[in-house]
Amino acid sequence: MTTTHTHALLLRSNDFGESDRILHLLTPETGRVTVIAKGARRSVKRFGGNLDFFNHLRIQIEQRRPTSMARLELAKLERTFHGLREHPGRFALGCYVLEALDRLAPEGGARVERERLFHFGLAALDWIDGGTPDRRMRVLLELRTLDAVGLRPELARCVRCASALGPADGPLVPFRVGDGGPVCAACRSPEDQGLPIHLGTLRALQSSLGFELSALARIGLSGNALGEAEGLLRRFLRFHVGLELRSEAFLTQLTLREPEGKLRPPEARP
Amino acid sequence: MKTAPPIERLVANLKRLPGIGEKSATRLAFFLLSSPERLVTELADAMVRVKSEIVLCEHCFDLTDVSPCPICRDDRRDAKLLCVVEEPADRAAIERSGDWPGRYHVLGGALSPIDGVGPEDLRITELEGRVRTDGVKEVLLATNPNAEGDATAHYLGDRLRATGVRLTRIGYGMPMGGDLEYADHVTVGRSLQNRRELD
Ligand SMILES: [Zn+2]
Ligand SMILES: [Zn+2]
Repeated sequence: MTTTHTHALLLRSNDFGESDRILHLLTPETGRVTVIAKGARRSVKRFGGNLDFFNHLRIQIEQRRPTSMARLELAKLERTFHGLREHPGRFALGCYVLEALDRLAPEGGARVERERLFHFGLAALDWIDGGTPDRRMRVLLELRTLDAVGLRPELARCVRCASALGPADGPLVPFRVGDGGPVCAACRSPEDQGLPIHLGTLRALQSSLGFELSALARIGLSGNALGEAEGLLRRFLRFHVGLELRSEAFLTQLTLREPEGKLRPPEARP
Repeated sequence: MKTAPPIERLVANLKRLPGIGEKSATRLAFFLLSSPERLVTELADAMVRVKSEIVLCEHCFDLTDVSPCPICRDDRRDAKLLCVVEEPADRAAIERSGDWPGRYHVLGGALSPIDGVGPEDLRITELEGRVRTDGVKEVLLATNPNAEGDATAHYLGDRLRATGVRLTRIGYGMPMGGDLEYADHVTVGRSLQNRRELD
């Protein structure tokens, strides 16, 4: 029997039988892992009601046999991201990120990658918790989620010749969704349709990758550029991930319906 | 020895029930087989009738054998107070506490985007209709105190705020992450008394 002590975020939860729950967790120790929580449905005593979305947990899991499902033995609350429970827009965005991680995060993988992914999950919830859940936040989070799971689109270089894009390639650059990136002027052929994107939009997205999530307020992305970025990310997700996230419809309803002004003002930003 | 096909069929059907595995199903099958005819007929009859006789109340969407349900027909219940719950079992839990003088509205679940459950899958339009036409003064949002239940309460709050109705949320007493269905009546009663304004 192996016992593992680690941190965890709940990605998905299903009732199992009369009193148990099957949980998909993201941990820095194991990556994405499926565990059974005995008695978690009937009683909140054992896990103290901690087995909930948007909770940073410290857990103990036990693997009795290599072939059997690991059992959750202990779950202590490290931190709860309250803002996601109390604001429908933040809740929708949080669910969207958790679902994307559940569908895209690898099981296992290199240790440093697992840790990076877990910390991305925490940072994403933290950002949503104090931020304004609008279209801009959604686009930047989609890009960061793809980056975190190793599926980032190419934004700075030509996918054919790998040379850095410059002013001579713009202002509109065809983005080849199928190839995963833009094509420079030299490599372009008349039949290269692609999705036309302004060089400035690609640059803004590229530079957003260099910022901590908490500092993304500094990335200017609005109006036309925001619309372009949304189109790019949406097509990229569909094509490369084959992804129709279940939580997408609700998120779209909320991020399109609620103008920024209607929300509680976000905490002061640097 | 191979089990006789009628027994096999019964076991296979019992196994579809929640919490019933191969072992329990077999035990139940042999119990029924050794029981008096009358007991088996009564059980089968009860199962068929529950399907044909139980309907949803046309006002509150609770399970009932006559619509409107007894609570919606009861004049002593304050129609100006509406308690919103996720499931019929939650309505039953609140009713057991004996602390709610008003009526109910059963949503049919909570928002659960990850499982594909959105607002259009819940009885929210019907709730808005009742609040607008029945002169409701207070809506107590008694969805479960977990992430999805909290988010649902706040979402309903946003949708109902324009009507000017008083919006309250079940209060402390219910453990975080808990489920009304499994809470004892003292705890549920306390959480009703401690209800607070939804901010
Ligand atoms: Zn090129
Ligand atoms: Zn009724």
